[in-house]
Amino acid sequence: MRNYIIILSLFFICNKINAQELKVDISYKYLYSNQWDKAIQTYNFSRPFIAEKQPLLMHGLNSSLSYIFKTSKKFKHGINISYSYFKSNSENENFENNLNLHFLNLGYILHYENKEKWKGLYTDLIISATSSGLFRQINGEPFEYDETTSKAFGIGGDLNFKLGYYLKLKDKYFISPFISVAYTPYLFSPNSEPVINQTKGLTSKNWTGILTTQIGITFHIKKND
Amino acid sequence: MDRRYFIKQSTLLSIGGLLIPSTSLTACRKETLFDDINYNGKVLIIGAGAAGLYAGYILKSKGINFQILEASSSYGGRLGKLTNFANFPIDLGAQWLHGKNNILGDIIQKTKTKIIIDNSEESYWFTNQIISSLPKDINAIFIREDNVPDVSFKDFAVQEGYGNDYANIVEGIAGDSGASASKISAYWKIKEEENWNSGDDDFKFQDTYFDLIDKHIASEVKDKITQNTIVTKIDYSQTNIVVTDSNNNTYNADKLIITVPITVLKTNDIQFIPALPSEKTEAFSKIGMEAGMKVFMKFNNKFFDQNIIGGNICAAYADESVGKVVDDKVLLAFVMGEQAEYLTSLGNDNAITNALLQELDIMYNGQATASFIASHVQNWTTNPFIKGAYSYSTVGMGNARTVAAKTVDNKLFFAGEAMNINGHHQTVHGAVETGYREVINILASIKK
Repeated sequence: MRNYIIILSLFFICNKINAQELKVDISYKYLYSNQWDKAIQTYNFSRPFIAEKQPLLMHGLNSSLSYIFKTSKKFKHGINISYSYFKSNSENENFENNLNLHFLNLGYILHYENKEKWKGLYTDLIISATSSGLFRQINGEPFEYDETTSKAFGIGGDLNFKLGYYLKLKDKYFISPFISVAYTPYLFSPNSEPVINQTKGLTSKNWTGILTTQIGITFHIKKND
Repeated sequence: MDRRYFIKQSTLLSIGGLLIPSTSLTACRKETLFDDINYNGKVLIIGAGAAGLYAGYILKSKGINFQILEASSSYGGRLGKLTNFANFPIDLGAQWLHGKNNILGDIIQKTKTKIIIDNSEESYWFTNQIISSLPKDINAIFIREDNVPDVSFKDFAVQEGYGNDYANIVEGIAGDSGASASKISAYWKIKEEENWNSGDDDFKFQDTYFDLIDKHIASEVKDKITQNTIVTKIDYSQTNIVVTDSNNNTYNADKLIITVPITVLKTNDIQFIPALPSEKTEAFSKIGMEAGMKVFMKFNNKFFDQNIIGGNICAAYADESVGKVVDDKVLLAFVMGEQAEYLTSLGNDNAITNALLQELDIMYNGQATASFIASHVQNWTTNPFIKGAYSYSTVGMGNARTVAAKTVDNKLFFAGEAMNINGHHQTVHGAVETGYREVINILASIKK
């Protein structure tokens, strides 16, 4: 959290110096990963003693911060940092099982807007490095064995296409509803299966591919071109 | 800002961005495997050990018709319980939960089953004296992951500079894996366990391991077990599989899950028609399983240490009362491999007990015989439906387990601890995993 505040502060300082646009967004995020699905489906299949099944990792929240460099061109570029959180929770007698999945992305933005032709419409293409952390909790406590917490980290790349529409609030302040689609073509997270289904090599050989869609609102501080 | 304009734009974007992907993708994503499958065939399971019981439990939960054929007059396989020997229940077979990051760990959490970490201290019988630590840490060579040759534990220890003084210590380490030090492969033991993810702590049950399986798994399928049914022939030459028992009773099935110990498959106690592929029978022959017995000795005086490693008759003794609420003085002799073969050759339980008491008398200056009350010998080797302890990795084993566990003709499915290809062989939770794995394989074969 402290790091997040520091980064945010740095962005504001930079904004005073050379920023064209600073934007913060909050969104609902839908996630699809065949491998995580398969591990949870196997978990549910293999545990008839659990009445309430473990939901798939599907619905999450995302927030991101973007900084667009100053330029007079229609194509602008900048940097982006985003954080996403997904949770899967099942409550059974004596056994509340939570899976918490976190993503942190750090990427490069290619931003395009054309006021003459597109009015308020804009697009972002974001290419990011992704890191993920998957954790398991049982009955509200981190699940530990051998005095270590059950966890799986992952790394990958992410390609995100975003479409939004500027709506002016006041002076240089805008908001924009947006949608985005992203694909993470390679996410290597070898301990995910041991965290979810407590096996290794049973539900998958590799760990690849995540598809996400988002819908949300962006708040912009935008200088005149 | 024009509020109506904003609402209009937002609504359009919401429909496109949220509803379309969510409804289309969510609709085809199910919470569990084979949620929509409806199978009317019959599944026969041979063996009511942990794998067979769990396979039945899963089939029951899916509403699939099944029957379990068990050769003996009880269920549980290599799990068992002795209640009238001490003032606490004793595990006759498997007794340690090896790590809790596994499916049985979940059942334990869910059912609040009481377990305790076995942190008992190790002592060693080394150069004719009991010592608390060895001059050189021999355990370290068997857990390292680099430059380990495909030779036996015994040869590897010698190569690493552990001579005759350490021979029975090595035997004790090998015995933990149910094998003789001269037969188990240092390389394959490590290689096969690369996927081990259950955890390194060993746990004991306040009751017994058998109770866990009995109360929470066997209880679900007891009515489907046909006991005293020794399968002698499996004919899978036709669409319908016909299983014949020693009384010439026949049982029909569409799919068959075979969970018998690897020894039963190796010794051809079951005739397959047609014969199993040769690569499969070769794979069976490469999977080791040797003699194994547990001897419980009750004393009126606790003269012994919590663990004594390195005996010549028995390389591993353990205080059986560790983890139990009450504490009759019971010492377990955990005898594996060639040592178990030797004790079996003595012919009767008294001779076995006397041989162990003599060794303990040497270690503890005659205190064993002086304070001895009673013993119970559980010899898994002479059990005709088990014939040993549990599977281990032999020298030159290669991918034998993977081949052995392969489905035959989409009809015969192989489960049991020896068929665990993810490093969890030799364990109850590993057997359970193969039980549900093979139900998945059956349903996948139907879906195809």
